[in-house]
Amino acid sequence: MRKREYDFWILFTVLVMLAIGTVMVFSASSYSAQYYQNNKYHFLIRQLLWGTIGVISMLVFSNVDYHRIASSSPILMVISTIMLSLVLIPGIGTVINESRRWFNLGFTTFQPSEFTKIAVILFLSFSLSKNSNRLDYFFTGLVPYLIVVGVTAGLLFFEPHMSAIILIILVSIIILFCAGARIRHFVALAVPVGIIGWKLIMSKQYRVNRIIAFLDPFKYSQGDGFQVVNSLYAIASGSVFGRGLGRSLQKNLYLPEPHNDFIFAILAEELGFVGAFTVILLFMLFIWRGVKVAMNAPDMMGSLLATGITSLIALEAIINIAVVTSTIPTTGMPLPFFSAGGTSTVFLLTSVGILLNISKGTASTNFGIIGNNKDSYGTKRNSSSRKVGEL
Amino acid sequence: MKGSNYNHRKKIMKKTTVKNTRSITDKKKVSDKPSSIKIKKREFFMLLFFTFCLFFLIYRLGYIQFVKGEEYQKRAYSNQTQKRLINPKRGTIYDRNGKGLAISASVDTVGVNPKELRDAVGGDETKLRSIANDLGAMLGMDSEIIMKKFQANSRFEFIKRKIDRDTGSQVRAYVSNAGLWSIYVDEDSKRYYPKGNLASHVLGFTGSDDQGLNGIEMVLESTLKGVPGKIMNEVDVLGRQISFSKERYIDAIDGYDVYLTIDETIQYLAEKAMDQAVLDYNLKRGATCIVMNPNTGEILAMVSKPDFDPNNPDALPLGLLDEDWKGFDDAEDSEYLWQTVFRNKAVMDTYEPGSVFKAITAAAALEENVVTLDTPEVCKPISLAGHTINCWRKGGHGAEDFLHAVYNSCNPVFVKTGMDLGIAKFYNYFRLFGFTERTGIELQGEPSNEEYRNLQHKDPKEIDLAVSSFGQRFQISPIQMITAYAAIANGGNLLKPTIIKQISDSEGNIIKKVEPQVIRKVISEQTAQTVREVLEGVVSEGTGRNAYVSGYRIGGKTGTSQTLQTDSEGRYVVSFMAIAPANKPEVCVLVVLDHPQNEMHLRSGGILAAPVAGALTEEILKYMQVEREYTEKDKQEMAQEVYVPNVVGYSLADAESKLKAFGLEYEVEGEKTDPDAIIYNQTPKADFSIPQKSTVILYTDENQAEITVTMPDLKDRTVAEAIEVLERVGLNIRIHGSGVVQKQEYPAGTQLSKGQVVEISFVEMIGD
Repeated sequence: MRKREYDFWILFTVLVMLAIGTVMVFSASSYSAQYYQNNKYHFLIRQLLWGTIGVISMLVFSNVDYHRIASSSPILMVISTIMLSLVLIPGIGTVINESRRWFNLGFTTFQPSEFTKIAVILFLSFSLSKNSNRLDYFFTGLVPYLIVVGVTAGLLFFEPHMSAIILIILVSIIILFCAGARIRHFVALAVPVGIIGWKLIMSKQYRVNRIIAFLDPFKYSQGDGFQVVNSLYAIASGSVFGRGLGRSLQKNLYLPEPHNDFIFAILAEELGFVGAFTVILLFMLFIWRGVKVAMNAPDMMGSLLATGITSLIALEAIINIAVVTSTIPTTGMPLPFFSAGGTSTVFLLTSVGILLNISKGTASTNFGIIGNNKDSYGTKRNSSSRKVGEL
Repeated sequence: MKGSNYNHRKKIMKKTTVKNTRSITDKKKVSDKPSSIKIKKREFFMLLFFTFCLFFLIYRLGYIQFVKGEEYQKRAYSNQTQKRLINPKRGTIYDRNGKGLAISASVDTVGVNPKELRDAVGGDETKLRSIANDLGAMLGMDSEIIMKKFQANSRFEFIKRKIDRDTGSQVRAYVSNAGLWSIYVDEDSKRYYPKGNLASHVLGFTGSDDQGLNGIEMVLESTLKGVPGKIMNEVDVLGRQISFSKERYIDAIDGYDVYLTIDETIQYLAEKAMDQAVLDYNLKRGATCIVMNPNTGEILAMVSKPDFDPNNPDALPLGLLDEDWKGFDDAEDSEYLWQTVFRNKAVMDTYEPGSVFKAITAAAALEENVVTLDTPEVCKPISLAGHTINCWRKGGHGAEDFLHAVYNSCNPVFVKTGMDLGIAKFYNYFRLFGFTERTGIELQGEPSNEEYRNLQHKDPKEIDLAVSSFGQRFQISPIQMITAYAAIANGGNLLKPTIIKQISDSEGNIIKKVEPQVIRKVISEQTAQTVREVLEGVVSEGTGRNAYVSGYRIGGKTGTSQTLQTDSEGRYVVSFMAIAPANKPEVCVLVVLDHPQNEMHLRSGGILAAPVAGALTEEILKYMQVEREYTEKDKQEMAQEVYVPNVVGYSLADAESKLKAFGLEYEVEGEKTDPDAIIYNQTPKADFSIPQKSTVILYTDENQAEITVTMPDLKDRTVAEAIEVLERVGLNIRIHGSGVVQKQEYPAGTQLSKGQVVEISFVEMIGD
């Protein structure tokens, strides 16, 4: 048996994005950091620190057998549920911007929902790989998973943390879908879930306002449309090659917290269409390799886990860029590997570490078409996987 | 269907049961099982889905950057940059000889970027207050007002606009010493009208942003305004300048200068005459006067009373008592100003021209050969459609020729002449002379063609023609009247009146020159000349006698009409239209006096407007250096003036013979009356020009005080009576005009030296 290797392109794209992201965090944040924190390096230093911790974590987890992590996922789910409950208790959870999402650890804040995302993915992959046959049954197969996801989403609803709920639900659906859940079960669920979801979204005036502002952002450019309008101004100002690194004008307090959710707009302004297009291509490359890892994983657990992790990152990227380009209403979604943020960066890189570990099982570094992996494992692949590759 | 569904389900149940059994028996093997084809298919589907989403986002990106790019960039730019405008220097308005009538002086304007200022002082309230106090002291402003501006939530506020240059430099020095870069002192300009009220309606005035709000300032706003310059900075959301941005400076382009056709001196003479008329006749609704060069259509002067000072347009109008006067700050006050003092009566108001219009009827009739000057006419009341039309003189003038009918301004003769012309021809000339259309003069507020026609007969009947022939029951504007007369004066061409001579840029290059514009030929040269001769006769012999000026050949016509509204203020409008010199016209002068209130029994253009117009025309002709041509009659009258010889130091006998030689009488005051008595003093003094037959008072006692007498009231006295009354008192008289006393130089009760010459104006009680 040949020594198993990481998927090079995943590691490559993630490190490139992390590097560009750190530079952009500095560029985007320096003006507002100087204004609010009186230190233009404020966010750069933090991002470098957390990025380093994240990369170390990624390397560590890439060498930990994912089976071991996945098998402890029921415990992780329990921990996740406890943390999500604790954070709701006033005095324990810290409130920022009217949401109780954080534990204040003194030196930093910790967002349990980041942990929850991975825990849910691990748990679903682990459990479904054991019980995939049961998914044929609606009540005994699908519903128990929906309850687990529902409880988690419910706890997040009280924080509230809408973007995490959306992510967890979508990623869960993708994992259940890939695990073989029946499409007509989803169709049957779509109507009641859609109605409940709509009601919940419309239950808060600020969410309604965001949707109204989305429909005509320029009309509300001084209110709910403020961020989006300034984001559009930033992107449009970038044109083909951008204003040049560090020369964004919209970061001068026009776009609030330009280093966070709207960092892509600043990137588009400074690096232009060329830069923004390159970033999207990097995400495409990453997603392609992630799905490839999933398809070539040695077992169902690895396959679903790789799908979950890749989907999580893909969805975050897509939703973030969609918000920034005013394609969907505003929701607080960071751009993976780019947006500044401690907990999220570390957990993101940790999950990439798990993905890399799975990729060791597939160990393909060549540019073969999907599913073409003669040298993986060294073992015989069944003919079905080759058929997929020919699709 | 139900059955097949059921079967299908059964099959699957079988399959899963098998798998389940295996997973229970060998857990480890199951988890190691490579993912199935179904999973791979679905995972591949997800890859396609994500790729599709990302491609869609690339499309969105391209749409924003390339399709909407320019629009958003523009909006972003206006957000990200702060503009300060530099006002261009507004063009100067000159009179025809280059005398400045509206000038822009360079001043400074102080502004502030409140957000940046608060930032600069670190939000320190006391520091802001001290800056406000310092500025307040320099600008003469309440520091509280400045403080309010400092606290405004904006990127720019004016602190004080249009301060003089010295104060501006003072503030500039203060700001740069204190390093307060967010307080700006920018160049600005302020409108200044050096002649005050002169031609205020023509010039108009400007608002606080230097925008023209009336008159030429408004009509030629775009010409005078220029293009503002800009200072542009890139700023952050708080309006603070960004370190790497460059300040861009775009120069302002100064406005063009405008040369009016107005002659400042003629304007001044006309203003003075109208001011005097307003006082003399207590004109409740003001007066208007237009002076035009009939050969070019250029307006040499245009006066409208009441007027205003464009330097301070919303000041309390003269003669108005209002303790709460707020000017433009109060809607009612503002409305009052626009309805009265800002109204250019020469262009905006319409009136019934009355007999002044008879010249038009006469011109039409002569052109159409309906009458000749010696056509026999009879002036007696005419009955028409139940109305009786009388002449102004009770009983009429009886049999006369057409020439004398014009001299005497006989209404019944004109009714007949109008009828002879017929409705079609009469109203055709009415149109040809330009009364149905706006003249197109470059001033605001002239009625539109439709408004004019609404004030005139739309579908004229015979009775309409009858009254129209002598200028009643239709309305025209003063500018139309003088434009029509200019056609008679220049030989038959209707011109477009103009008030703009040329427009030049700030370097003096001519941008536009206004050339005389003939609208149409109305009457022949021959007819025009005949009408001018008739009009000259009206002044020398007819109802225009009171406008007679010796040495100048003035042609003219008087007019009186009543306004339709019955009010208590005396609803007369009297006017006089002069053409001078009648043989070779150089000016037309129209004087319209609205609602005269004097105590005359008869209010007519001949009595009230003619003397004003005559005296004004004389002054204008003198200024224009038109040579006087004295008639024999003029010379006779002039010969009656003599210079008083000096008789002081002479003996009484010598004095007597000396004075006799000049045709003067004398009267001795003093103890000594013997022929050898020495004359110590005389009144009037030597070298004064006095009328012949005046009495010179001689003082024969040394150090004798001059005797004073009291000026009597001469109201309504005839010439003979006035001479007698003054002779009794011991005053000499200089007679102006004939008829009854209209005006005495000194009011009754004034103490005067005995023997002094007093000027008494007489007027003939004539209608028109």
